[in-house]
Amino acid sequence: MKKERVVITGLGAVTPIGIGIEAFWNAAKDGSNGLRPITAFDTTVFRTNIGGEVQNFKPQEFLTATEAESMGRSSHFAIAATQMALKQSGIAISKENPFRVGVSFGTTMGEPQILEQCIENIFTANKTLDTLDPKLPGQYPCGKIAAHVARHCNACGPVIMIPTACAAGNYAIGYAFDMLGLDMADIVIAGGSDPISKIAFTGFNRLLATAKESCKPFDKNRDGMAVGEGAGAVVMETLTHAQKRGATIIAEVLGYGIACDAHNMTIPDPSGSGGILALNKAFSNANITPDTVDYISAHGTGTKENDKIETFIIKSVFGEKAKSIPVSSIKSMIGHTMGAASAIEAVACCLMIQHNTLLPTINYSEPDPDCDLDYVPNASRCASVNRVVSNAYAFGGNTSALILGRFGATS
Amino acid sequence: MKIVITGSCSISCLGTTTEQIIESLGAAPKIGTVSDFGFHSFSQPQPCFNIPNFDPEPILGKKGLRTKDRATKLLLAACELGFKEMFATGPEELRPGLCIGTAFGSVQSIGDFLSDAIANGPHNVNPMAFANTVINAPTSNANIRYLSRMSSTTVSTTFNAGMDAFAYACTYIRSGHAKRLIVGGLEELSYYALAGLAKSNALSTKGTCMPFGSEADGFLMGEGCAVFCVETEESAKERNATIIAEIAGIHSCFDPKQEKYGYNPDASGAEHAASKAVLQAEILPNDISFIAASANGNPHGDAMEASVISKLFPKVPVAAYKLKTGECLGASGSLNVACALTDMHAKRISGAAGRYGINAPIDLVFDTREQVASNYVLVNSFSCDGYCASIVLKNRL
Repeated sequence: MKKERVVITGLGAVTPIGIGIEAFWNAAKDGSNGLRPITAFDTTVFRTNIGGEVQNFKPQEFLTATEAESMGRSSHFAIAATQMALKQSGIAISKENPFRVGVSFGTTMGEPQILEQCIENIFTANKTLDTLDPKLPGQYPCGKIAAHVARHCNACGPVIMIPTACAAGNYAIGYAFDMLGLDMADIVIAGGSDPISKIAFTGFNRLLATAKESCKPFDKNRDGMAVGEGAGAVVMETLTHAQKRGATIIAEVLGYGIACDAHNMTIPDPSGSGGILALNKAFSNANITPDTVDYISAHGTGTKENDKIETFIIKSVFGEKAKSIPVSSIKSMIGHTMGAASAIEAVACCLMIQHNTLLPTINYSEPDPDCDLDYVPNASRCASVNRVVSNAYAFGGNTSALILGRFGATS
Repeated sequence: MKIVITGSCSISCLGTTTEQIIESLGAAPKIGTVSDFGFHSFSQPQPCFNIPNFDPEPILGKKGLRTKDRATKLLLAACELGFKEMFATGPEELRPGLCIGTAFGSVQSIGDFLSDAIANGPHNVNPMAFANTVINAPTSNANIRYLSRMSSTTVSTTFNAGMDAFAYACTYIRSGHAKRLIVGGLEELSYYALAGLAKSNALSTKGTCMPFGSEADGFLMGEGCAVFCVETEESAKERNATIIAEIAGIHSCFDPKQEKYGYNPDASGAEHAASKAVLQAEILPNDISFIAASANGNPHGDAMEASVISKLFPKVPVAAYKLKTGECLGASGSLNVACALTDMHAKRISGAAGRYGINAPIDLVFDTREQVASNYVLVNSFSCDGYCASIVLKNRL
C-alpha cells in the first residue's frame, strides 16, 4: 500500500530551561541546567530535592482565566505547546476541514496534581468527600488533555491519548504518523505532556532512583534521574497538504517502532530485548539502515541501569558504527519530563536537524566503561545532521524509537 | 485489507462464559453495592455493577498476584481465559501485542500510593506499589506475563477508550506494523472513580441505570474487561482461525462542541462517527440488524445518541446493554462489542427485561427478540468529553 509521506511543520515546547522554541533552543545549545530544588511541594522529607520545574509559566498567556481554571497543569502545558507549534506552522486552523484535523498526545501521569489535590482534600476533611470541589474530579482523567487540545484547535478528526508512561510522546507521534500515512487526516497535532508530580517524585525517591545534585547521564558517577515537567508538540501534516499550502518543512517523519521488554515493570531487560526490537522495527518501518543515522537522542535518564543497557542496545543495533554516532541526553538539562520527554526530544531533534547542531549531555566528567560511546559531553557541537533516531523507554518495559530526517536529504 | 475478530473473552457482572452472558443479558439487572476500599470507604453502600466474588487465583494461579491490583487482575484473567494458548504457542515474534483502553487504569493503586504516603510518610510507602501507578500498568503486566514483546499500547480516551482501542488496532494493523493484536477495554471499580463521579453528579441518585429513560438521572458505574483477537483476514486464514466477525467499518472522531455536561446537543460528532462507520462498511443504514447503544442513563448523552439514531437509523432496533453492565467507563466500548457479538451469534436482541418510559423516538428493545437475522451490528461509544466512535460488525459465523 502506498502511504502518504509525513512532515513536521511546527514545533512547540514548554520546558524547565525555556518556554517557547527560541528560548528552549538557546538554553539547550548553551548546555543550561534546568534542575533546581522543587517548589511545587515540600521536599524536606525526601532524600533528594532537585527536579526540572517549568519556571514562570503563566497559563493566562495561552488561555482565558475560565479555561485555565477548568483544567490541570498538564493540559495548560499541552495547549501552550500546541499554540506555539500551530503558530510556527502558519496553519490557519479555522480554514482547515475540521474533520481532517486530529490530535495524538501521550502522558505518563495525566493530571496527577488534580488527583493529589482531591486526595489531600479528602484527608483534610477527615477522610470524607464533604469539602471536595465538585469541579476537580472531572479534570483528572488523562484523556482530558487530548480533548482540551482538540477543543482548542477545533479538531473533529481522530483524537487519541496514549498513556504509555515515559515513552508516550514517541507512541503519540508514531500513531499520528500512521494516521497521516493512511490519509485519515491532513494535520495531526502530536505531543506529550506531564506536570511535576508528587506521586512520581515519591515513587522514584523510594526506588532510590533520583539524583542528589545533578543529572549525569552516561557518566561513571551518575546517581539517578530527576523528575521534571513540560510539554512538547509538533504539527504533523501529509507532505501533500504541506506542499499544497506552501509550508516550510522542518523535518520528515521517516518511521517508528514500538515494542516491550516483557521483563519487569520497573527494571529494564538486561538483554535490551525491547529496545533492540523497537529500533529494528523503526528501521524496517522507515525502510532505511542504521548506518545512515547521524545522531541518536538517547532516553538517557541518568540511572545506572538505563544508561548501561541503552548503550548496549545501541551497540547491538548499530554495530561498529555505534562508536562514531554521537549520542546525547537532554534529560541532563531538563530532567525526565515523563510522558513529555520523547515529545520534547522530538522537538529537539527537529531543531538539531534545522541548525546542524547537536545538543550536549551536560554534567559529564568521567567515562564509564559500560557506557563507551560519544555522548557529546558538555558542549553542543556543529555537525551535519540529516537523519536522527530518538529512543524512549518506560515503566512497564514499553520501548520505542522514532526516526526523523531532513526533508529532501538522501543518505 | 479486511480486519476480523477471531476470539473474545469478557469478565463483567454478566459472567464470563457465553452461557452466563446470554442468561444475564436476558435477565433483570443485578445491581450490587460496594463501600470499603481499604484506605478509604463510603459511609453508605454505593450501588454499582460490580463483579462479586471475583477471584483470579483459580484462573491465574497464586504466583505473582500479590503485587497486582484489581485492574491488572481483571485484564490478566480475561487474557488467560481467552488467549492463553495463543500466547503460549509458537515463536515469540508471532505472539500478539496488546492494545487496551482504559479511562483510569490502576487509579485505585495510584490513589492508594499517595494516600499511603500522606498517612504513613513517603519513606514508608511500598516501592513495589509504585510500579502500579502508571496508567499503562495493567497492559504492560499482561505483556510481561505472556512474554509479549511485539507491542504494548494503552489508550485512554475517557469513556471511549474501549472502542478507541479498536480504532488504534485497525490503524496499527493497516499500517503494516502487525498482523494481529489483542485488543480490548478495562476498568476496575475504584474508590477514586466512584467518589469523583459522585461528586461530579454523574451517578444516579435514585440508584438506577435506565438508558434513554425519561426518569433517568445518571448512571451506575460498573467494572469489567473484554478482550478480542483482532487480525487481518489473511492472518486468520493462514492459521485456520475461526472468524467470528469482521470489522466492516470503524470511525473515531471528536466533537469539540460541548454544552453543559459535556455533550453536544446537535450531535454532529456522534452522527459523523456512526455515518462514516456505516459508509466504510459499504452498507445502508437499514442493513444494520440492531444497534448496541452507548446510552447509560445520562439524560444529555442519551438524548444526543437518540437524535443520531432517530435521524440515521429510525427503523433499527436498539439494545441498551449498560442497563445490565452499568457504565464501565474505559471498558464500556469493548463490553458493548462483546454483548453485541453474543446477541448476534445467538440471533437475538436482548431486552431490558422490564419496561420503563423513554423520551426517545427509537425502537428500544424491552422484550428480548429471538430469531433475529443478525448480519450487521452497529456499536456506538460516545463520551461526555467529545470522543465519538462507532464500529460496524459483520457476522462471519
